[in-house]
Amino acid sequence: MYPLVDDTTREYQANQTKKAPVDHSLIPPCQAACPLHMEIREYVDLVAQGRIMEALQVIRSGNPFPSICAYVCTHPCEEACRRCQVDNPIAIRALKRFALEFGGDRMIQAEAETTHHEKVAIVGSGPAGLACAYYLRELGYPATIFEAHSELGGMLRVGIPQYRLPREVLETEVQRLTQMGVEIRTETRVVSLDLLFDLGYKAIFITIGAHQSLRMGIEGEDSPGVIDGATFLREVNLGLKPSLGKKVAVVGGGNVAIDAARTALRLGVHKVNILYRRSREEMPADPAEIDQALEEGAEILFLVAPTRIRGENGRLCVTCVRMELGEPDASGRRQPIPIKDSDFDHEFDTLITAIGQAPQTPVDFHVSVGRGSTIQVDTVTLTTNRRGVFAGGDAVTGPATVTEALAAGRLAASRIDDYLQHRYPLVSKETRESVSGDLLPETIEMIRKIGRLEPPILPPRKRKKDFKAVELIYDWEVAINEARRCLRCGMGAEILFQDKCATCLTCLRVCPYHVPYLDASGTIQIPDDQCQACGICVAECPAKAIVLRKLYDRRHITEELDYILKSAAQSTVKPLIIGFCCQYGLFGTGTLAGLWRGPGAGTWIVPVLCVAKVEADHILRAFEMGAEGVFIAGCGEQCARENTALWVRQRVEKVRRALAQIGLEPERLQSFILSATRENLAKEIDSFIEQVAGLYLASVITQEVKS
Amino acid sequence: MIVAEQKTLEEIRRMITPYARVLILGCGTCMTVCDAGGEREVSFLHNALRVAQAKSGNGTHTFSEYTLKRQCDPEFLDVLSDQITDVDTVLSLGCGIGVQAIAERYPDLPVLPGVNTSFMGMAKELGVWDERCAACGDCRLEETAGICPITRCTKGILNGPCAGTKDGKCEANKDMDCAWVLIYKRLERLEQLEKMRRYYPMRNFRAIPRPKRLTSRISVDMGEDNEDNG
Ligand SMILES: Cc1cc2nc3c(=O)[nH]c(=O)nc-3n(C[C@H](O)[C@H](O)[C@H](O)COP(=O)(O)OP(=O)(O)OC[C@H]3O[C@@H](n4cnc5c(N)ncnc54)[C@H](O)[C@@H]3O)c2cc1C
Ligand code: SF4
Ligand code: SF4
Repeated sequence: MYPLVDDTTREYQANQTKKAPVDHSLIPPCQAACPLHMEIREYVDLVAQGRIMEALQVIRSGNPFPSICAYVCTHPCEEACRRCQVDNPIAIRALKRFALEFGGDRMIQAEAETTHHEKVAIVGSGPAGLACAYYLRELGYPATIFEAHSELGGMLRVGIPQYRLPREVLETEVQRLTQMGVEIRTETRVVSLDLLFDLGYKAIFITIGAHQSLRMGIEGEDSPGVIDGATFLREVNLGLKPSLGKKVAVVGGGNVAIDAARTALRLGVHKVNILYRRSREEMPADPAEIDQALEEGAEILFLVAPTRIRGENGRLCVTCVRMELGEPDASGRRQPIPIKDSDFDHEFDTLITAIGQAPQTPVDFHVSVGRGSTIQVDTVTLTTNRRGVFAGGDAVTGPATVTEALAAGRLAASRIDDYLQHRYPLVSKETRESVSGDLLPETIEMIRKIGRLEPPILPPRKRKKDFKAVELIYDWEVAINEARRCLRCGMGAEILFQDKCATCLTCLRVCPYHVPYLDASGTIQIPDDQCQACGICVAECPAKAIVLRKLYDRRHITEELDYILKSAAQSTVKPLIIGFCCQYGLFGTGTLAGLWRGPGAGTWIVPVLCVAKVEADHILRAFEMGAEGVFIAGCGEQCARENTALWVRQRVEKVRRALAQIGLEPERLQSFILSATRENLAKEIDSFIEQVAGLYLASVITQEVKS
Repeated sequence: MIVAEQKTLEEIRRMITPYARVLILGCGTCMTVCDAGGEREVSFLHNALRVAQAKSGNGTHTFSEYTLKRQCDPEFLDVLSDQITDVDTVLSLGCGIGVQAIAERYPDLPVLPGVNTSFMGMAKELGVWDERCAACGDCRLEETAGICPITRCTKGILNGPCAGTKDGKCEANKDMDCAWVLIYKRLERLEQLEKMRRYYPMRNFRAIPRPKRLTSRISVDMGEDNEDNG
């Protein structure tokens, strides 16, 4: 074994690298769209590598209750995902769920230490309240949650049906808070804030949600048999079984309407009609869930609105009118206009209204309330008109989403901290820019199209029977393949050392995606929003001027080699063989995992971002470390990228020529690229290892004969 | 641009044998562009030499590496002064000019050429270069439609084509285009075929003395100014 990097030789390079020890990656669109700004690209990448526990850490660090989001998040990240421009977005939410289920998210939360004496009261235990309590405890404040209902969770408990969010999941997450030492007061409706201040609370966070269903404003709305969606779902969620009869109408087109319809079906109702006044295109509910409702037998009557309800012989006679779509309104959706004389009657046993909810703030809170009964706050500080009183979540925004509520809770915790510590609010400024701009057509054309892989779901027949979770979990391999589709936006290549760039145009010529270009001044530009981070130009740049934006990507092969050098020195197994393997396909899915055992002992694997990233230098360094054989294994046709094998073969050939001149057998270096004709790669690698062992033995014998 | 090819590892190893401490010195201009001696090749050679030494078990060289922006200007060499005192030789991956620039700057230090400087040319495609200019010092491209017969005609004749041209290829190398056919076609396109009909007198290469020197400075008579600045 020989020392690796020590002499003055690499100092220059080391100094150059030191110059920029910062992460230059840009914020990807998914992260920018996430209300919690979760590091999606990072955890998706870790899942792709099969490093689930590390993925879990990233997920946990950005979200206090990831399991909940893994089930019900409306995933704005997926709408923003740039893969939409290529084929379909990454299944981010399902991958998060996979990581949580596979990694086992039943971690015990340690009790948080109390370092401050100022007590904080949280009114309401929806996601906003829970998140605020979580972060306040982390900051060391004593926190108390006051909840009107008998159980915690807000809409998570009394709104969202169990088939979308199993109660055990909610239970585990809520328990975390108890373990952290949050004081919990259920069945305690707060009516006055003064009382809380009298009790010694120094700050209050109001997060009472938006639970008051909006009224349709039509005749007969109060007839028996008419019930509002929020109340209906609450009753079912609290274990009641409201009798609905055989035929039910649900009015509305949002998620609450869909949830009410599917819940009704699970309660044994024969027929459910959803009445929606616009068309499917304008429907705000999640498209996947609309599909699932239809599969389960719900029927949607589009462009229909009720105008009058009459109770007759225990049934409801509902008069409806047909609509047509006019000009777009303020929300951008086309305004429905009633069609004259299109009235018709329909009979139902029950009618559920689900046309929206508004917050209902007790007057004695004395906080100012604005449009749609929402509490008015300063959006940066979340402060209300009352000193020490903060508000967030649905109560401020009107009905929104779980992640937005969690983000509001987190923000509130840090603002309350600022307030209690008499600090000017510390607004955290993001120093990194976001990826902006669309992919260019020539780039899109070169990206391999790989359709989105969905997790399996229960068949409709089975799911209608009860309230079991509808969505199942990915298989290991499917999850990894789905995660590999990520384009790794904003972590691509950059010319870090502009002074070294000789404008040789190599990057422009080698890039499979036509990303680098010459600008009008004759300087090479690598646009950060187009680069696909394949690393080919990094390895091919003759001036070594290009690096990948992530520090980890920049250093990790060298670091892995150093690590192997240290570990192998302690191992007695000979000969040492080093393999550079694609960290996704092969390595991640375990095809090569067997190499650590059995005949492959003494074989060390360096997982790489893509085999096209392995430089000729890396291979030589492996030999210098004393490797008797070196191989590169990549996924070829399975690869998310085109043409990587070409680069691998070229570099291997270059090193082989050098080896021959040094007097080493070129067969000691081999590349294995998975293809249709080369199915049994593991076997081929095994025989390579045997061959190297033979060469090694022969050289030992010649050595002995010589001496 | 100047195009070169790295010498074989065998030759390089032979050259460095007498020297213990070897500085491998790259050049960040032409040699980087032609893949012969930029930072990547310096590093590759460095690694290869270390592997060779490790595997052969003999040889006690210590290597260091550095890549200059350009070797052919003395000012760029200034940054070397610290390192140069600790080495026994410089293995230059600069072109022949770079090697000589170093030799001139460090009179007591042996300098070894790591590349074979081959020609002046341009890139045909990634990693492929073609010779285009012989630096003859008397450019005739105006008469030959921008195609150099001295470089691109195997025989370098000024009044071509010769009788050996066949189907647009050269008799000496059937894979190579006949330069004079190319010239003819291009003159035809430019409607300047009369240039073909002219006779160009032979050139006396011996009349061009070597080594040449050029200056872009304009010498002016400073007269009294000079005295003023005294
Ligand atoms: C049926 C349904 C399905 C949904 N599906 C999704 C989904 O799939 N994905 C998604 O992201 N979002 C979904 N949402 C929206 C999401 O649940 C809410 O945006 C989110 O729960 C809002 O959180 P919050 O903390 O602001 O309020 P809430 O969750 O509404 O919690 C408010 C809490 O405050 C309590 N409270 C009220 N007044 C008082 C008082 N005076 N004293 C003490 N306690 C009080 C209430 O009892 C309640 O527990 C859904 C909503 C509904 C109704
Ligand atoms: S491709 Fe990956 S990094 Fe880019 S937006 Fe989608 S999930 Fe995020
Ligand atoms: S890293 Fe790959 S995609 Fe990005 S510029 Fe370089 S070669 Fe192109």
